[in-house]
Amino acid sequence: MRRRILEALGVAVVITALGIFLQGVVSGQAPATSGGAAGAPAAKAEPAPTLPGGLPDLQGIWYDEFDTPFERPAQQADKEFFTEDERKARDARNSGDVGRNQRFEKGSVQDVAGAYNAVFNSVRPTGRRTSLVVDPPNGRVPALTPATQERNRIDQEFRLALLQNTPTCKEQAPGCRGGKYGPPSPRLNEVSPFYNTQRMNRHNGPEDQSMGDRCMLGTTPDFAGFRRIVQSGNLIAIGIDTGQGQGYQRVVYMTGSHPAKNIRLRHGDSRGHFEGATLVVETTNFSPKFPYRGSSENLVLVERYTRTDARSIEYAATLTDPTVWTAPWTVKQELHQQPNDQNRIYYEPRCHEGNYGLPSLLVGARVDDQAFKLGRGPNPASADTATCVNELPTESER
Amino acid sequence: MKGSTIVTALVAAVLGAGATFLATRPAEQAGGTVRTARAASGKPDFGGVWQTLNEAHWDLQAHEARAAIVTQPGVYDLEYARVPAAPVLALGAAGGVPGSLGVVTGDGQIPYKPEALAVKQANAENWIDRDPELKCYLPGIPRAMYMPYPFTIVQGTDKIHMTYAFSNAARVIHMDKVEGPPDDTYMGHSVGRWEGDTLVVDVTNFNGKNWLDRAGNYHSDGLHLVERFTAMSPDAIKYEVTIEDPKVFTKPWTISMPLYRRLEANATVLDYNCIDFAEEFMYGNLRKEQLVKHWEGETMVVDIKRKVPAGDKLHEWYRR
Repeated sequence: MRRRILEALGVAVVITALGIFLQGVVSGQAPATSGGAAGAPAAKAEPAPTLPGGLPDLQGIWYDEFDTPFERPAQQADKEFFTEDERKARDARNSGDVGRNQRFEKGSVQDVAGAYNAVFNSVRPTGRRTSLVVDPPNGRVPALTPATQERNRIDQEFRLALLQNTPTCKEQAPGCRGGKYGPPSPRLNEVSPFYNTQRMNRHNGPEDQSMGDRCMLGTTPDFAGFRRIVQSGNLIAIGIDTGQGQGYQRVVYMTGSHPAKNIRLRHGDSRGHFEGATLVVETTNFSPKFPYRGSSENLVLVERYTRTDARSIEYAATLTDPTVWTAPWTVKQELHQQPNDQNRIYYEPRCHEGNYGLPSLLVGARVDDQAFKLGRGPNPASADTATCVNELPTESER
Repeated sequence: MKGSTIVTALVAAVLGAGATFLATRPAEQAGGTVRTARAASGKPDFGGVWQTLNEAHWDLQAHEARAAIVTQPGVYDLEYARVPAAPVLALGAAGGVPGSLGVVTGDGQIPYKPEALAVKQANAENWIDRDPELKCYLPGIPRAMYMPYPFTIVQGTDKIHMTYAFSNAARVIHMDKVEGPPDDTYMGHSVGRWEGDTLVVDVTNFNGKNWLDRAGNYHSDGLHLVERFTAMSPDAIKYEVTIEDPKVFTKPWTISMPLYRRLEANATVLDYNCIDFAEEFMYGNLRKEQLVKHWEGETMVVDIKRKVPAGDKLHEWYRR
């Protein structure tokens, strides 16, 4: 019961944040014109505005209104765009309740652990693209380097060791994929083999929690959130609203140069210039503490912002990190301008200020430790407090 | 980037900056107008990297220098003879507080209501536990403007965006008409207008969780600010704030200070993302194995064991 209350507290934080987010989506962040989102031909948009002096004007609140798989599903192979029929079929399926209202046996851990039904998911219309990744041409993130694969294997082995005595492994649920059931691991109190950024089945201190639990989820680049761009000649500010109140700010300097190599920044150091009508931003000096999809501090991010008409920006981001990926890869998005007067962007990320979840979770873990020590409770290593036990199938598995 | 490219980029940047400088900094105009950079609109352009250079973040009011931010009675029962207390003792003279003439205009006093003054004094006595800065919380306005960290001002067409190094906090000053926020905020809702060459910003919708400095000066959710930014030169802005909060103060009061442009080549704001820096302070007692000895429940006991390394005894190092 106590654990249930503690979990509920954590969930309440998430629900509140989600509520705020959804409120924005539903009430304010609808597309400014009906054309784009519905996939119907948009009315011909006004031409792209410029600043006095002729540079493109990129200002406004921008958002990708479409639901696009990050990587291309295998069945789309080398096809960059969906047909209209395919888009309709996907929309019909997504607006149903496939996988989102499913229940497990009432009162079971699985039922409660995955208790986010359709109301917790915002559903966006299917866009033209079959994937956000457009290069390599198969629409999939390139293979990891052998060194990164080995690193991931070591990391996963450790995570599975922490789970091996739980029902998740006993029942061979998806959360234990690659692992097997066994007695509590002797590795339970080992230091994580690498700087941890994901949730694990141990809560010895803040470092055992995910970056999201610690209110440091936002990483650069971000393809999911709203962005507000404010632009002057020498500086461009980009405010990103993402991840349930875990957004962040970037400033692009149009002058100067990247700082010395030992300067490592959570969102890197961004320097921009215009190539014709395109703003090109190169970001380096990333911190190893805030990886994007496993990137390292060697990541070089090159973003290109091209305002194609009054309400559209074509956005492309190329990620190069030879220590992690065997080739550079590129994501493309069409961003659409949101109504400025409604100002529906959550630009004050205040997850940390209201983070009752993290200390509550650590308190709960210490109480469990103590109860076990006194013979009044189960071994904490025998409970799964990290995965959702029965994770939903991923896009490619559907 | 290759060496030659960097050089080219630097030269281009310097030339570009120079061109901007020449184009936007006309000689002092007739009629006493202050020389400053100008935006395309003709209004002053406050864009750049800025920082205050004062002691307001310690205490807005005039104050003497003191031995430490946390002190305890010394040999004498005298306020001015207190000595540093445990939390900062090991920092020596680097843990002290510099003196200041204060930034509160007029008689220099903050017009607290009697009950609010008692809260302020309790805040000061419980600084470590109460000051949101120590937890890396969003600093609020006006505090973010005079913390000892730089910030950028990006002056766009209808928005002025300020990004602060501390906690990666930001504010947007709306020069156009927008809907207000759906909830109260840490950083406030800022609406700006020009009065001649002065940028005037009305700030409302505060949640009342911020402080004004490290001395325990505070406000409630009834806070209403009127900020005035006036160019003093191309590289300095006179920053004045009228602070009104009928729940806490008997009347409005005003602070005034210059903001200075960071003039270093390649001036860049390096974010002070302090959330994980504050985790040990906030959650250290909840670890399975404590790192910083020791906590007694939620009480942090700071045992100072400063072992002097061999060769570093008092005076020994200097005699070498």
